[in-house]
Amino acid sequence: MSTAVKNQLRVCLLSVKYNIMKEMVNKVTFLTNILFMMLNNAAFIIQWSILFSLREDIGGYSMREVMLLWGLTASSFGLSRILFARVFTLHELIVSGKLDAYLVQPKNVLLSVMTSVTVTSAIGDFLYGIVLLCVFSFSIGRLFLFLLFTVTGALIITAFGLLVGSMSFWFVRTEMFGVHMFNCMISFATYPDGIFRGKARFLLYYIIPVGMAVYHPVHIMAAFDIGAFLWVLGYTVCIWAVAVCVFYRGLKRYSSSNLMEARI
Amino acid sequence: MQAIKVEDLSKSFRIRQKEKGMRGSIKAIFSPRTEEIKAVNGISFEVEEGEMLAFIGPNGAGKSTTIKMLTGILYPDGGKVEVLGLDPTKRRKQLAYQIGTVFGQKEQLWTHLTPYDNFRFFGAIYDVPDKETEERIGELGELFELSAFINTPVRNLSLGQRIRCEIAASLIHRPKVLFLDEPTIGLDPVVKETVRSLIRQMNRELHTTIFLTSHDVGDIEKLCKRVIIVNDGQIVLDDSMEHLKYGDMPLEDIIVEIYRSEGKVTLES
Repeated sequence: MSTAVKNQLRVCLLSVKYNIMKEMVNKVTFLTNILFMMLNNAAFIIQWSILFSLREDIGGYSMREVMLLWGLTASSFGLSRILFARVFTLHELIVSGKLDAYLVQPKNVLLSVMTSVTVTSAIGDFLYGIVLLCVFSFSIGRLFLFLLFTVTGALIITAFGLLVGSMSFWFVRTEMFGVHMFNCMISFATYPDGIFRGKARFLLYYIIPVGMAVYHPVHIMAAFDIGAFLWVLGYTVCIWAVAVCVFYRGLKRYSSSNLMEARI
Repeated sequence: MQAIKVEDLSKSFRIRQKEKGMRGSIKAIFSPRTEEIKAVNGISFEVEEGEMLAFIGPNGAGKSTTIKMLTGILYPDGGKVEVLGLDPTKRRKQLAYQIGTVFGQKEQLWTHLTPYDNFRFFGAIYDVPDKETEERIGELGELFELSAFINTPVRNLSLGQRIRCEIAASLIHRPKVLFLDEPTIGLDPVVKETVRSLIRQMNRELHTTIFLTSHDVGDIEKLCKRVIIVNDGQIVLDDSMEHLKYGDMPLEDIIVEIYRSEGKVTLES
């Protein structure tokens, strides 16, 4: 690994470390944020238990697969918001000229920006996913795949957030669009894909990339398919390539600002 | 040798225009209208290594836009920029290792961290080895008298203490050129004087090139030997501080006169 890459990774990890340190200053809030996020997610187990007591099969999924879906969704979204949470408020940095602080540093702007914020409750999401896997469908092989797909899922979600956030380089007030798209992803990612047909299915696989982030991986964990596995990996690389290109293209349009702001 | 070389630099922004009231808002949805504002309009100048230059002008004259193009934050629309022989748009990262920036209106430090942790973080950003960062923190701590609050979170510091930390952080990697955008804004006279003497000391001992923008005449008069005045994105005056002073007329009045004349009044006239 080259020294430049090592140094870049060191700065990113330091950034995440300092963010977590900041949250840990208030011990009670830090722990309750994590714990209550896990409890909040767990409430949906009851909802699904009731549904599966009425029907054995929902959209081609059993209870175990739905829990796998929930686990992967929680862990992927969690990892994305532990490491790259700033992507989801990128519009704010662009519009208020807060990218300046990153542009004067001799580091990769995108990586420095992405890792500059950590959401504490996301640690709860991440842990909840792993707990669900351990409780409902644990095996060593599945744990390995689960962790791998958590990483690809987090990368796909982050890339999508980056694409939506980068729209602020061209259009003003895109924040609500970003919030809707993000909520859309979370909502759809927690329902079996078998219940969606036609245009909705096309939308979920090709426009809002829930299909590649969670549906395909869940199918692969249920029955391994090398073709689908490579498809997910390839898609992750492609969406990242597009998102990075769009961000740097937009960066050339960045107009900064002279607003009096503090970096908190 | 020249530290900064600028030739025919320009930058425009497209600003959305809207007629007044709700009617104007509705109209703007269907037929949006934009206007081009020339923030910087074909300026050229050079700064020698070790020079202390005041780059001043009224609000909206194009000072910050120029600094942002010199530091690689903004892409110019036209012209040529070289800072320490590097083009900021093409070699932003390499340049960043050799320059420091302090924006008085914007915080670069992490407010929840202590100055010490911030300096360590900045050391990592600029790839300064840990041992060297420690030594540098010691030197800067002594120079800027930071020892009393180096372990206090930045959010709990006074404005003067914060600005001293901002400048110290921007020097952790020993930059050859320091860009200061209104570094004394909001400070009391005593702290202002401390900051000025630190800048002077840095320039004298480390031969750091200083590029300063400020609305404070004291900063300009006490620090710089040369002044460039910009207005409406164009240079209206580029001369030595000695020339700018005229008899008993206060420097502030001379500068205001030049600002008001929008370039029509020069030193000769």
